Amino acid sequence: MRAIFAVFKREFALYFRSPIAYAIAFAVLFFMAILFNNFIAVGVQQQYPPYAPYAPNLLTFLLFLIAPLLTMRLLAEESREGTLETLMTLPMNESQFIIGKFLAAWGYYTILLLVTIIYYTLLWLVGTPDQGTAFASYFGAWLYGGAVIAVAMIWSAITEDQIVAAFLGAATVLVLYLAGFAASWVAVQPNTASSLGDFVRELGLQAHYNDTLAVGIIRAEDILYFVFMIVGALFITTRIVETRRWRA
Amino acid sequence: MIEVENLTKRYGNVTAVDAITFSAKHGQVTGFLGPNGAGKTTTMRVLTGYMPPTSGKAVIAGFDVFDQSMEVRKRVGYLPENVPLYRDLTARGYLMYIGEIRGVKDRRARADEVLERVGLLDRAESRIRTLSKGMRQRVGLAQALIHDPEVLILDEPTIGLDPIQVLELRDVVRELGKEHTLLFSTHILSEAEQVCDNLVIINRGTIVAQGAPSELRTTLAQGGRVLVRVDADSEAAVSLISQLPGVDHAEVQMDGIAVSPKSADIDPRPTIARAVIEKGWNLIELRPLAVNLEEIFLELTRQQEQAAEEAAVAEEMEVAQS
Repeated sequence: MRAIFAVFKREFALYFRSPIAYAIAFAVLFFMAILFNNFIAVGVQQQYPPYAPYAPNLLTFLLFLIAPLLTMRLLAEESREGTLETLMTLPMNESQFIIGKFLAAWGYYTILLLVTIIYYTLLWLVGTPDQGTAFASYFGAWLYGGAVIAVAMIWSAITEDQIVAAFLGAATVLVLYLAGFAASWVAVQPNTASSLGDFVRELGLQAHYNDTLAVGIIRAEDILYFVFMIVGALFITTRIVETRRWRA
Repeated sequence: MIEVENLTKRYGNVTAVDAITFSAKHGQVTGFLGPNGAGKTTTMRVLTGYMPPTSGKAVIAGFDVFDQSMEVRKRVGYLPENVPLYRDLTARGYLMYIGEIRGVKDRRARADEVLERVGLLDRAESRIRTLSKGMRQRVGLAQALIHDPEVLILDEPTIGLDPIQVLELRDVVRELGKEHTLLFSTHILSEAEQVCDNLVIINRGTIVAQGAPSELRTTLAQGGRVLVRVDADSEAAVSLISQLPGVDHAEVQMDGIAVSPKSADIDPRPTIARAVIEKGWNLIELRPLAVNLEEIFLELTRQQEQAAEEAAVAEEMEVAQS
């Protein structure tokens, strides 16, 4: 616990001292503000009911860029600079180290997500957004972010090159994001069981967010999906760091 | 206390460390001496728990480095070869971070204590990126001391330092050796000779000799090999000397000619001296070999290579016979 907290504290503080985190926050919030402004203007004109999950939905899409940028440095740099060698001879095992790093990235994302609550409160100015949907979608986007960050972090353990880690991280997250498209393609192929399409869809991120949490439905299976993604990805990362170290 | 028994580490097909056995006692500086690529860093990485051994055993402070890695890590301070540090942190900040992971109490006071010990307290607030190589080395050393470990493992701590810093660091190492089990590696022979109470010489993954520097010198001096320096053409000198009675062979080594007698109880020096003088050359130096560590090391690696060659020849003959 002590070691996890020490690593978390350092990494989390580092986000606020590095330009990249501010760049991410600025880009995301600026982009969101412009889209939101447009969305409100059209919504008021057309008399739409205020749509609570607007910000979290947009954020889950942008995560394919945010997550790799947050995670690319985490392990690649330690390994390239050689600082991993010092750390891995301290009384701390790989999982504590990796959990600390993960929590720092997820923590930063959490703050970003909390800032976007501004958009939800602004909706109260023009109507009465659904509170249940708002809660479910923010909660969903939070878990979604954790899963995506954990997955993107795997690449930072595999390669020492931050750019490669970011690029492959973005690609992986995008594939998971677009699993729904693959599923609909699989489903229309002749000679395949219809359940195969469903299976592919369930593997993707959107099936567990867009149709459920984003519309206010909180299902145990979706929460479990994200939790398993986090635990599974962290486990893989731990194993990679371990094998790299043992072979180095 | 470090006890290593038949420790082997292989990377794929390459054997970096081959069944080495040695021990390092408390209150002594044990030098790990060998050329680059001899397996020093690999051995140290196994000892610190950074990588597991392929086979064999190593016990530090009573704990097995593989089975009880966490217990070992609590008791070992390690300075890796390239002194990896976080450049964005201050010297004190870095020490406090390592101290926090290690669970050191009164981290701030302790960080200042070790900074003072390595003579860097006045730079405690400087970011590591602004520190010179020598200062970084000292921050790395302070990191290894932060939890007051029983065992200190320092991988080439004097590499890349200027001569004055090297002297300072050697003093620190000698000082620390009095109250710790200190294992330190180097490829500089004079350094090992000055600092170490006990010496382990390693080459190509195997230990070629170990013992106190003075002991090593006496054992080797008994081989009977002598070094001759004459102010003449070295080829002519070699051919003259190698034909003398009692001389097995002569060869150019470093700045002189190394002469092996036919057997250890023959002293070839009088014969050589007479022959050189009679030839009309000036005899500049004539002394037993292996009086300093450079020569000890060359002697040992020569013996090792000779043994390997003999083994290879024997093997070939066996193959030819069958």
